[in-house]
Amino acid sequence: MTLILDLILRLAVWLLLAPLLPGIINKVKAWVACRRGPPVLQLYYDLAKLWRKGVVLSTLASPGFIAGPAVAWVALTGAAMLMPLGPAGSALSFRGDVLLLIYLLALARFCTAWAAMETGSAFEGMGAAREVSYAVLAEAAIIAAVLSLSVQTGSVSLVTMLSPSAGAGAVLLAAGLFTVLLAENCRVPFDDPNTHLELTMIHEVMVLDHSGPPLAAILHGASVKLLLFAVLLVQAVLPMGELPPLGVAGALAAGVLVVTVGVGLVESLLARLAFRRVPLLLTTAFLLCLFALLVAWKGGAK
Amino acid sequence: MTPGALLSLAAISLVAGLVSGLWFSRTWLAFTLAGAATGLGAALSVLLGATDWEWRSAFSLGGEFVHLRLDGVSAMFLALLCVVGGAGAVYAREYWSEEHYPASAPRGRCWWSALMLSMGLVLTISNGLHFLIAWELFAVSAFFLIRLDRQRPEVRAAGWLYLAASHAGTVCLFAFFSLLAARTGSWELGPMREQTALAPLFWIALAGFGVKAGVFPLHVWLPSAHANAPSHVSAIMSGVAIKMGVYGIVRFSGWLPVPHAAGWVVTGLGATSALLGIAFAFAQNDFKRLLAYCSVENVGIILIGVGAALLAVTHGDATWGRLALAGALLHVWNHGAFKALLFFGAGSVLHATGTREMSKLGGLWRTMPWTTGLFALGSIAVSGLPPLNGLVSEWLVYLGLFDAAVSGGPAAWAAMPAAIMLAMAGALAMASFAKAGAMIFLGAPRTQVAAHAHECGMGMRAPMLTLAGLCVVIGLAPILFWPVVARAVGSWRPAWVTMEAPVPLVTLGSVHAGLAVLVSAAAAWLWRMAHVNGLRRGLTWDCGYATPSARMQYTSASFGGIVSGWFRWVLQPERKMRRPRGHFPAEAIRLERVPETVLERILGPVSAVVIQASSSVRRLQHGRLQFYILYVVAGLIALGLLVLLGGAP
Repeated sequence: MTLILDLILRLAVWLLLAPLLPGIINKVKAWVACRRGPPVLQLYYDLAKLWRKGVVLSTLASPGFIAGPAVAWVALTGAAMLMPLGPAGSALSFRGDVLLLIYLLALARFCTAWAAMETGSAFEGMGAAREVSYAVLAEAAIIAAVLSLSVQTGSVSLVTMLSPSAGAGAVLLAAGLFTVLLAENCRVPFDDPNTHLELTMIHEVMVLDHSGPPLAAILHGASVKLLLFAVLLVQAVLPMGELPPLGVAGALAAGVLVVTVGVGLVESLLARLAFRRVPLLLTTAFLLCLFALLVAWKGGAK
Repeated sequence: MTPGALLSLAAISLVAGLVSGLWFSRTWLAFTLAGAATGLGAALSVLLGATDWEWRSAFSLGGEFVHLRLDGVSAMFLALLCVVGGAGAVYAREYWSEEHYPASAPRGRCWWSALMLSMGLVLTISNGLHFLIAWELFAVSAFFLIRLDRQRPEVRAAGWLYLAASHAGTVCLFAFFSLLAARTGSWELGPMREQTALAPLFWIALAGFGVKAGVFPLHVWLPSAHANAPSHVSAIMSGVAIKMGVYGIVRFSGWLPVPHAAGWVVTGLGATSALLGIAFAFAQNDFKRLLAYCSVENVGIILIGVGAALLAVTHGDATWGRLALAGALLHVWNHGAFKALLFFGAGSVLHATGTREMSKLGGLWRTMPWTTGLFALGSIAVSGLPPLNGLVSEWLVYLGLFDAAVSGGPAAWAAMPAAIMLAMAGALAMASFAKAGAMIFLGAPRTQVAAHAHECGMGMRAPMLTLAGLCVVIGLAPILFWPVVARAVGSWRPAWVTMEAPVPLVTLGSVHAGLAVLVSAAAAWLWRMAHVNGLRRGLTWDCGYATPSARMQYTSASFGGIVSGWFRWVLQPERKMRRPRGHFPAEAIRLERVPETVLERILGPVSAVVIQASSSVRRLQHGRLQFYILYVVAGLIALGLLVLLGGAP
C-alpha cells in the first residue's frame, strides 16, 4: 500500500511540477527583455487545451505517428521514476539503473525521430537527423559524467551515486552537465524553441506536424526531461548528503530553480550557435565531463 | 536421450537433407528442421545439465582419432546455429523458391545443409587437424551460398573477395594449429592453461579468427559478401558464421594461456570495431550494407566484453570479468536473433521491390505492415533500447566495464574509454536504424517499385516472428537465460562459475515487462483520444508548401551527412556536385558515396604494388625455348659450382 502511495505521490510531483519549468524560463526571458511575458502556468493551459483538441494527421503517417509520442512519454516518465528525489530516494533502485535511465532517454529519442520521419517532410527529416547526430556527443558526455560519479562513489546505482557530497570535480561536472542539459532539451545556444524558421530548429521542427493529444504528450514529455536533467545536475553537484531531509528537499528545489533561471538567462543573453559550431560546444561539454572523471579517479577522491 | 545420440541424429538428418535437397524441397525442409531441433536439444541438454559431453572414437581420420566435445561455450554457439539455421531454412523455401530460381534453389538447399553441418562440426571437433578440415568445409560452403546468384558480376566479385579473405585467415589458422601441435606434441585440443609457453600463439589465432569475425581492419570481405548474398544467406552469415570467428577467439583464449597484453588488444580492437563499424553503417545508402557494417559493430561489442574478461584474468578480478564475459556471450545470441530478423526483413523488402537503395524506397508500411513492424522491433533490439534483448547484454557489458573502472586498477584505463566508445556506438546504432527504418518504410514512396510493393507470405513471416519472439523473451525475462550464460562462463574459466545472477536481472526484466505494458497502454490511450477528439487527414505541413513531391523528402545520405562529416577522416566520402548556376539553373547534382575505405584506399594500392612487382618477375617467362634451356644450364652450372667449391652444409 505504501509502495503504491509512494509511486502515486512521486508521479504527481514529477508530472505536475514539470510544466512549471518552461514557464519559469519564459518568465525570466521576459523579465530580462523588460516584457511582461506569458504567465508561469502557460504550459498547463496549453496542455489542457491541446488534450481536448482534435488531431490532424498527415496523409502519409502510419499509426506509429501517434504511438511514437506515447512511447516517448512513457520512457521519459519511467526515466523520471528511476531518478532519486533527494531524501525520498527513487521509486525503484537497483544496480545499473543509471544505464537503464540513459537508454530510456535514447528510446524516447528514437520514437520522436521515428514519428518525425513519418510525415515525409524534409524539414522534419532535417530535425531528426540533427537530433540523432548531436545525441552521439551528448551521450558520450553523459556516460563520462556518470562514470565520474560512479568512480567517485564506487557504485553503479543512482541513489548511492547521487547522495554523498560532491567530489573535487564538481565545478567541471556542473559545467559539463549544464551544457548537456541545454543540448538535450533543445535550448539556446543549441536550438531556439521560439524561432519560426524551420531550417534552424532541431526539436521543434520534429514536432511540426503533431497536434492535439499527441502534441500534448510531446510537450509534457519535454518538460519532464528538462526537470529530469535539472534534478540530475543539482544532485550530482550540490553537497547535500549531510543535511536533514527537509533541508535536502529545500536545497534540491532551490537548486532546480537556480538551474531553470540559469537556462532562462543563457537564453536571454546568448545567441544561437551556427550549426557547425554545435559539435564543438558538445565536445567541450564531453571534455569537461572527462576531466571531471579524471579528477574523480586520480584526484584522490578515495 | 544423451547429447551424443541427439547430435548423431542431427548429423544424420543434415546429411539426409544434403542429399534430398537436390530434388525435394519439402523433404529437405523436414530433414533440416529435424536436424536443427535435435541439435538444439543436444545443446540445451549440455547447457542446462551439469556435465560436458565428450566422445573419443577408435575411428581415425588422417592419422588422428576423432575426438568430439560439447561444453558450455560450444553449446551456446551450437544453439544459435540451430535456431538461425532452422529459421533460415523455412525462410529460404519461399524467398529463394524453385519457381523463381529453378537453377540455384536446389544448390542453395544442399549448401545450406552443408554449411549447417560444417559449422556444427567446427563447434564440436576437439582435434586441431580435423578442426582445420571442418573450418575449410565451412568456408567453402559459405562461399557457394554467397554466390548462389552468380549471374551477377558483383555477386561473383563479392564471392571471390570472401574466399580470398577467408583463406588469408585460414593460413593463420594453419600456422596456429601446426605450431600448437608442434609444441604440445599432439593435435588434441583441450584446456592447457598451465603451459605458459603457448601464450604467444594467441596472436596468430586472433588474426586468423579475427578475419572471420569481421573485426574492424580485417572486415574488408564482410560488407560486399553480406550485401550481395541472398538475404537468408546474409542472415546466417551475419548471425552465425561470423560468430565462428568469435567462437575461435573465446574458445582458445579460454583453453590456452593468454599473453598479458591480450586483454588490452582485444578490448581496443572491440571498441574500434564498434565505433568505426557503426560510423560506416550510418553512412551507407544500401540497407543490406548498413546491416553488414552494423555486424562489425556488434562483433566489436562482443569483443569489448571478451577483452574485459581477459583483462580480468590478467589482473585476477573475477567479479567484473564474469559480468563482461556473460554480456559478450549473451550478445552472441542476441545479435544472432535480431540481425537474422533484420536481414529477413531486408530480404522481404528486396523481394517486394528489387532494390537495395534506401533512396528509392519509402512508404512501404502501407503495403508491408508486418515487415515494417518486425523491422522496427529489430531496430529497437539492435540499438540496445529497452525493453528488448539488445539492452540486456549491453547492460551486462557496461556493468562489467563500470565495475572495472570503479575497482581502480590498471584495467580502468581500458574500461573507461571502452565504456565511452560503447555509449557513442550505441547512440550511432540508434541513429542508423532510425534512418534505415524511416527511409525504407516511412514517408511517401520515392519510386514506382516502392509504391507497388507487396507483403511477404507466411513462409517468410513465420521465421521472422519466431526470431522476434526470441528477442522479446530475452528482453522481458533475462533471468531465464542466466543459467545458460553462467554455464558457458564456467566452461571458459571453471573458477568463475556462479549460478546466482550477480546483477538484478529479475528487476531489469520486470522493469522491461512493465515498460512494455505501459507503452502499449499509452499508445492505445493516445490513439483513442485522437479518435474521440476527432481525427482529420491532411497534407503534411511542409512550411506552407502545398504540392510536395516524394523526391523532396530527406534522403539517406542527407540524414547521415552530419555524422559522416565528423568521420570524414576514416570514411573518405566521395562527393560529386554541380551547383545551380545562373538565373534559370538547368540542373544541380549532389551525390555522395562512402567507399569501402579499407579495401579501396589501403588494400587496393598495396595489392597494386604487389602485382606490379610480380609482373616484373613475369618477364622471365616469355615462352622462348632457348632461354629456358639457358636457365636450366645456368642452374646446373651454379649447382655444380656450389658442390665443387665445398658449399656442403
